[in-house]
Order: sequence, then C-alpha cells, then structure tokens
Amino acid sequence: MPPLNPCAAKVAPAERRPFKPFVYNLAMPVETAQPTFAQASTRAAGDEKLKAAVSNAVMRQYVARQARMKELPDSDKLRTLAGDIKQHALDHLDYYLDQLKASVERNGGHVHFVSTAEDARELILKIAADAGCKKVIKSKSMVSEEISLAHEMERRGLEVVETDLGEFIVQISHDKPSHIVAPIVHMSKESVAQLFSEYFKTPYNADPEFLTRQARAWLRDKFRHADFGMTGANFLVAETGHVCAVENEGNARQSITTPRVLVTLAGIEKVVPRLADLSVMLKLLVRSATGQHLTIYTNLFGGPRKKSEKDGPEEFHLVLLDGGRSEILAGPYRETLRCIRCGACLNACPVYRKIGGHAYGHVYSGPIGALITPLMNGLEQYKDLPQASSLCGACYDACPVKINIPKHLVNLRRDIVQQRLNGRIERCVYRLWAWGLKSPLLYGLIGTLQKFDLRRRAKNTGWIKRLPRIAAGWTNVRDMPAPAKKTFHQLWKDR
Amino acid sequence: MTPDESIVMNRVRRALNRTGPPAPPPEIDESITRLTHPTDDLPAIFAGMCESNKMHVQTCNSADLAAQMIQFLSAENVKKVALCNGGIVVRLDLANHLTHAGFGSFTWDRLTLDELYDFDCAITDVYSAVAETGSLVVKASAEQGRALSLVPRIHIAIVEAKQILPDLIDLFAKLTREGLGSAVSLITGPSKTSDIEMTLVIGVHGPMKVKVFIVE
Repeated sequence: MPPLNPCAAKVAPAERRPFKPFVYNLAMPVETAQPTFAQASTRAAGDEKLKAAVSNAVMRQYVARQARMKELPDSDKLRTLAGDIKQHALDHLDYYLDQLKASVERNGGHVHFVSTAEDARELILKIAADAGCKKVIKSKSMVSEEISLAHEMERRGLEVVETDLGEFIVQISHDKPSHIVAPIVHMSKESVAQLFSEYFKTPYNADPEFLTRQARAWLRDKFRHADFGMTGANFLVAETGHVCAVENEGNARQSITTPRVLVTLAGIEKVVPRLADLSVMLKLLVRSATGQHLTIYTNLFGGPRKKSEKDGPEEFHLVLLDGGRSEILAGPYRETLRCIRCGACLNACPVYRKIGGHAYGHVYSGPIGALITPLMNGLEQYKDLPQASSLCGACYDACPVKINIPKHLVNLRRDIVQQRLNGRIERCVYRLWAWGLKSPLLYGLIGTLQKFDLRRRAKNTGWIKRLPRIAAGWTNVRDMPAPAKKTFHQLWKDR
Repeated sequence: MTPDESIVMNRVRRALNRTGPPAPPPEIDESITRLTHPTDDLPAIFAGMCESNKMHVQTCNSADLAAQMIQFLSAENVKKVALCNGGIVVRLDLANHLTHAGFGSFTWDRLTLDELYDFDCAITDVYSAVAETGSLVVKASAEQGRALSLVPRIHIAIVEAKQILPDLIDLFAKLTREGLGSAVSLITGPSKTSDIEMTLVIGVHGPMKVKVFIVE
C-alpha cells in the first residue's frame, strides 16, 4: 500500500538537496542584487521560519475573514454589488474625476494630477518646499511605496517618519513591507526587539506591548511637532470631495490633525461615486482584510480646517497618480483596477502563504500583485509572476469586488506567449509537446515508453523517488506516483 | 486646468472612449447591505457592540451623569481633564461639576493643540453613533476640534440614546444630508495594532481607553 502523504517527511530540511531547476535556470545569471522570482521564491520556500511566520499571520486573517463574511445577509451578492460599484466608477472615471476635483476645490482643497512616479515625487517635494515644511509624518500609503517617496524626501533633507507601527519598523530596519495590510509578517518579535534595542539604545525586551509603548512614545513626539502630513486613501468620494482612510492605530488621524499641510496621495482608480457607496465598500473592505467588522478609525476628510477650528491642516492637497493606470483602463484588464487593497487574496493564496511578499519583488505582492505589477511595470520584467499560481481560484473567492484574478492570470500568460517573452527553449518544448499530442500513434508510443520507464524507476513501490537531470524538479521535494500497469483505455477494453 | 491634469484626463477619456451621458451608479440593495434595522433595540445593540470592541460602556440618566463621571475619573487617577465646549457637556455644565469635585477642567476653547498632548483625559460629546458596528461618530468642529477624542490617553464619550443610528447606511445618509464639515471620524474602539507577530496590543497612537456613557 503506497504511503498516504507523499510529501510527509521525505527529506529533513537540513538534508534537502539544493534545488537546481534545470530548464529555467539555463540562461539565468548568477545571484545579482535583484534576484529573479525563481531564485527569490525558492529561497523563501526553503526558509522554514519565514514560512511559519507568514503562514501563521495570513491564516489568522483568512480564518477571521471567513467567519465575519458569514455575518452578512448575502455576502456573495454584496461582493457582486461592490464589484459593480467599482466597475461603474472605472467605466465613468473621467466623469467622477471631474466631479471629485470640483468637490475638493469647493471644500477649499487643491487637486493635482500627475502622470509618473517621478512627477508625483517632484510635486509633493515642491508642495513641502513652498510651504517651508521640514518634518514629515506619513501614514500608510501603498502608492507612496510604489513611488519610493520617503526615500527621496529623506535624500532631499526632510525628516520623514513612517507612523504606522509596521511601516515604522520597516523604515528603521531599511527593509521593505511584505504584505499589503500587515507589513512585517516576515519579522519575528525577537528581531523587532533587537532592532528597537539598537535604535532607541534601550535594553532588549521582546514583549510586543513593551515594544509598542516604546514606539508610541517616540512617535507621539513626532506627531506633536510635525508640519507636513501625508496619508493614503482607501476611497475618494466624488460626490462630496472627501478621502476615506481606514486604520486601527490612530496615526492617520494624527496626520490629519497636527501638521499644517496635509497631502493625500492616491491612484486615480480609488474614486467611488457617492458617500452612500461607502456603506457597501466599508462593510466588505474591513471584513476581507482583517476579519473585523470595522476598523478602529474610519476617517473622512478633505479640505483645510474651517476658520473657527483650532486644529487640522491649513492647506490640503490631493495628489492623483496615473502611473500606468490609464493604460490598464484602456485595455482588457480594466477590472483589476477595482482593487481596494484589502489583502484578502494574499491571505487566501497558497503560493503567497509559502513564500511571503518579498519574493514578488515589488510593492504589490500576492495574486493581485502578480497581475498589476507586470501591467504597471512591464510584462517582460515581471513575466514570472503570472506563472506563480496554480489557478486554484481562492483569490477570486476572497476578493470583495470580485476581480476574476485567475482569468486575468491566464490572459497574461497568453500575452507572454504572444509577445514571445517566454524564451526559445520553452517555445521549442511546447512545439514538440503539441506535435506529440496531435498524433494518436506518437501519443500512444511515447506514453507507453514513458510508462515503462517510470514504472521501472518506481521498483514496485508505486512511488518514484528520484528523476534524473531535466526532470529532477518534479521529485526534489515530493515523491511522484508511478503510472498504473494498464491505461484506462486498456482497462476499459478488458472489462 | 494644468498641463499635467489635461494629459492625465485626456488619457483617461481616450481609454474609456465613452459616448453619450454617464449611466447612473448601481442602486444599493438594502436587503443585502443593511445589518441593523430601525426597529431593533438600538441602545442595547450599541452597548453590546461597544463592549465587544473593548470600550467600557455605562448607561445612566442625565441627572446622574456628572456623579458617574467623577467616580470614573477618580478610579482612573486622573487629575486634569479637557472638555469640548458644546453639546451635552455644556448643557449639563460638566466642566463646573468637575472643577467643584477637585479636578482641573479645561475646555477646548481655552487650550492649544500642543497643550492637549499633556492631558491624560478628554471628554467629548458625539455627532452620532452607529449600533451596527458599535461606533462613535465625531465631527471636527470649533467645539472639540479633531484632537480631543484622539490625543489624550483616555477618551470619555457621551452618547445620547436618541443619537444612536441603526446602520452605516443611515449614518452616510445623515452625512450626505447635513454635510461632513472638514473631517469626520468613526471611532470603533481604543487604538490597537497586531503588527508585531499578530499579537494584539491595545493603545497605540490614539486613546488607550475609551469610556462611553449612554445617556437616556
């Protein structure tokens, strides 16, 4: 009787043979500064500590999400509605952007449109310089990561502090976030403790509460004296001209309260038509992201403080980034712009769970990252990402706006082939394979030869432990079941 | 329109290639969206949700409020308190009650934002409350600014039972009718994070403790 789980304890981690994927690594350079996805993901999948940390973190969020979604009267229909609202906003984006601009300006704010990352950086730096601001506090903004804003601000002599606890830790450790919603899933509390001990020059203490209090005290002082605040946006309400930004920590609220200049940076696709739409979007966003029914703080803001008010910004700027989104809008992948950056697909994805976010090599990781990273930054540079999926569809089931991620991944794979980005060897292999499949005689012959060879290798155990050379990848981390003695056709004929 | 704006907007318009007027947005079907109904026992649901959000809830009537407040503040060892200068706080003259009980009470009109960072406790009323999620809704105003319910370690919120709305749907309808002012925040618990190894820690950049008095 063959063993039930061919993956169970095949080789102890320490003894595992080094993974040498033959075909894909043929033309690959030796380890460079930016590893390829194959190199990065292999390394990540072999890192047991990382896998445990990522898996633990995402499973908690995923399980919480599953439980919370059941609270809704009909979560499937609500997800369809949310998807329809976002799709409608995208299909009429010119109209809603015009409306948004008029609304924000009516509230006394300024709206800026920028095409590229560089334009965005230059504009925000100019706003800071014109206002004479030096002390910047930033709350969570994926777009600011996308354009590497903090780095450039620091280079130009501004003091920049990331105020979201996870992002603060990423900043002072000179690391990159590895998950859209929980930036430091890849770090243990011991590594955070070590980091804080060095940074604050205090004794080592790995208690998360102690570490959080340390950060609270430090950042509170930064909030108090900041003159330039930056936020991201979950939604931009066209009807009223307000930004909706959700959070649990309170740092976004601080960012819109103390500094005299406030800048919100967002992609153009974040627009929703009406304030009422937020009731649908918020009920789904937070449940999908972390399994809460609502975040601790749900903030709606836009425009400077009113004359009678004592706090809040004196100047408000909304910076809207195109950054490749208008091109995606024009093409067959428009649906991917529905994304509200909840991270539910990351939590559901079996691939992400194994390799974490850094392996994807870009700020947006997981299933949605595998789509929008090549779409925004070029399919040639990121052609491995659409392949990094078993197309199981868990992401589609989890997506609150029903983006059909598996369908788009397959379409991107087709684009890779049509644009001849897949390399000569792969094209040759597929041509041979198609040739073999087209002829019943060849198919039968090759199949029989293969069957005999594989059964010989299995040596009557029913499992193949090692395949040579080109095929080694299939048996490196699991046993392969040997083919049956008789094919189904033969069994059928014999019955 | 600046050159960049027309570049981006032209790209968007070309991408959409839309002819004709825009269609109206999809209708929001309440049967799949609404979770709490106006006929539900709103104060009870609200109180229950607030408790599960780790806020401390106490129900009382307006005559008792000052006394209950003083009791809470004594238990928390608070010496000075910041108060908003509007709504029920002014109607019930809470600032004077607290001064007579020996606390330093300072209303927002007499404080600067920077001074507020040295306060441990602030008392505010609310613009509204939502039973569905157990949320307090505060609006930026001359009476409480944005900071009173955010900066001090302890936030005491006074909610009048009639202010409690059933669902987020009702809140956004109210805000659409009345306007949002310069900022609105929904507060659904004390500030928290799970960034470090998914361990929940309460009290990050916002208040560490939220006390809700529901006044009937």
